[in-house]
Amino acid sequence: MAELSDIGNEFIRQEIEEYLERPEEIERNIELFARVRPAMQAIAAALIEGEDGEVDRLTKLALADGIEALEIMDDGLIAGMGIVGIKFREAMIFVPEVLACARAMKAGMKYIEPILSDSGVEPIAKVLMGTVKGDLHDIGKNLCIMMLRGSGFEVVDLGVDTSEDEFIDAIEEHKATILGMSALLTTTMPNMGKTIEALIDADVRDDVFVMVGGAPVTQEFADDMGADGYGKDALSCVSLAKKLAAQTA
Amino acid sequence: MVIQPAPIKEMTSRQRVLAALRREPVDRTPVCNPTSVATVELMDLVDAPFPHANRDPAAMARLAATSYTELGFDSVMPVFSIVQESSALGCSMQWEQKDNWPTVRMNEPIWKDLDDIRIPNDFLTHPDMVCVLDAIRLLRKELGDDVAIIGKTMGPWTLGYHCFGVEPFLLMSLDDPGRTMACLERMKEATVQFGLAQIDAGVDALTVPDHATGDLVSGEYYKRFLMDMHSEFVETIPVPLILHICGRTVDRMDYIARTGMAAFHFDSKNEPAESMEIVSDRISLIGNINNPETLFSKNPEDVRKEVIANLEAGVPLIGPECAIPLQTRIENLMEIPKTVRQWHNEHVHVH
Repeated sequence: MAELSDIGNEFIRQEIEEYLERPEEIERNIELFARVRPAMQAIAAALIEGEDGEVDRLTKLALADGIEALEIMDDGLIAGMGIVGIKFREAMIFVPEVLACARAMKAGMKYIEPILSDSGVEPIAKVLMGTVKGDLHDIGKNLCIMMLRGSGFEVVDLGVDTSEDEFIDAIEEHKATILGMSALLTTTMPNMGKTIEALIDADVRDDVFVMVGGAPVTQEFADDMGADGYGKDALSCVSLAKKLAAQTA
Repeated sequence: MVIQPAPIKEMTSRQRVLAALRREPVDRTPVCNPTSVATVELMDLVDAPFPHANRDPAAMARLAATSYTELGFDSVMPVFSIVQESSALGCSMQWEQKDNWPTVRMNEPIWKDLDDIRIPNDFLTHPDMVCVLDAIRLLRKELGDDVAIIGKTMGPWTLGYHCFGVEPFLLMSLDDPGRTMACLERMKEATVQFGLAQIDAGVDALTVPDHATGDLVSGEYYKRFLMDMHSEFVETIPVPLILHICGRTVDRMDYIARTGMAAFHFDSKNEPAESMEIVSDRISLIGNINNPETLFSKNPEDVRKEVIANLEAGVPLIGPECAIPLQTRIENLMEIPKTVRQWHNEHVHVH
């Protein structure tokens, strides 16, 4: 079993020591970072610090050194976002910091995505994400999208004020595994249920798993509407998406 | 905490609210919502549906008055949403329908940088601003001095979200705190201008929503960017000010209590007793009945429990935690003042 001292990067060691509290998360991250090469630890560290310029530089360097794109994504970028997600869940960092980390992730992924796409490497699953009709608030949705992309999902962002027809068209066009809907207002929450009914009427309900979230939404509400799952925050959204995706594997 | 040896003479609603905001003795705990108690049911009752009631002064006043005339609250507040200033600044608006809130299209920001910030010369004469001012005058004329009229003026942090977009604004706060502060300094002019205009129109107090919520930013952010500015508002806007911030705010309540503002309207994500302990007697708390799970989804007996929990914690003004969901049933809202009256009848006055 790996130990903290097996991780060469001092910053990563400090992050694990200072910010991780759940034993299973500590163990998983020690195992992960003890295994990955120093260049990946450096990318992860730069991402956790929100240093998009540094992530950009280190990603290009790693590719130039012959490291595979998939390894850079998994062991550098996604590994770093894993720590970011935990810190955000525990309110050790807040949305500005997460936005900076997501920007850093994007800086690395702009080199990685084309390579993976060309080589036919598949994401974990494809997710459609939209805020329901009448709701223009999207920070929650966008945080979920950042975390999902940061965990290896392909996400199609349908934006805000998304109608039932737009959700249906997106399901038919993108052949996604999961549909995620968010609402910040109690006035728009019912549109989640209406959308699910519309999916049934359009005979596409069985084509996707439906997950929902947003400030006024609860597990009970999600169950009553006929959703497949409810995520109370961005990290829960990722866990739920992984669980749903695994059901199709 | 002062135990009054003899009952206080019955106050008008207005006297009660203003006394509580000044942390003076009251005859009973006032009930108010410094954000909004507009509902679809109330809109139907007085024929003042959204979006019309957000844009026409007579309809706005009619709907606002129901807080007092129908629900039995001690205050009325005509600014149901948080968009008037942003509309006047030039933001793209979605006024929606009867059963939904008007919203700023924040993904179509109007400003990108400090130099873009402009408070137009005709800011206060924009129709959406005039609507509010006229509605306040109508309410004062109709309701006299019996009920507290609370106005609303958006704080600069919220204006930042609306005009820059939430994500660009928050990224700027991290990338360039100095520039963010400079932007806030410019935007606060809108807060002050609209606040002063509402005082001229006749408000007794002003709500200042400034959404540096714990769901988005740290407590240290509040201290760094807003605490001193909010203290400045206390000096420049001469009525009791009620700060409103949604979400988790326990970690910044000590800073909020230092501003000198009269009250803080707090969210149900914060325990009343814990919140009261933090602020002590430095600021009045208003709240914090849960909206989506209690007022919107449950029954009067559930509302009652939360009201009592707040009363027993000593919260000095009782009300919903935020603008209530538009489909909330009136019976749930009426349970709030009903419970407060009953509780006071059963307890010694302890303030």
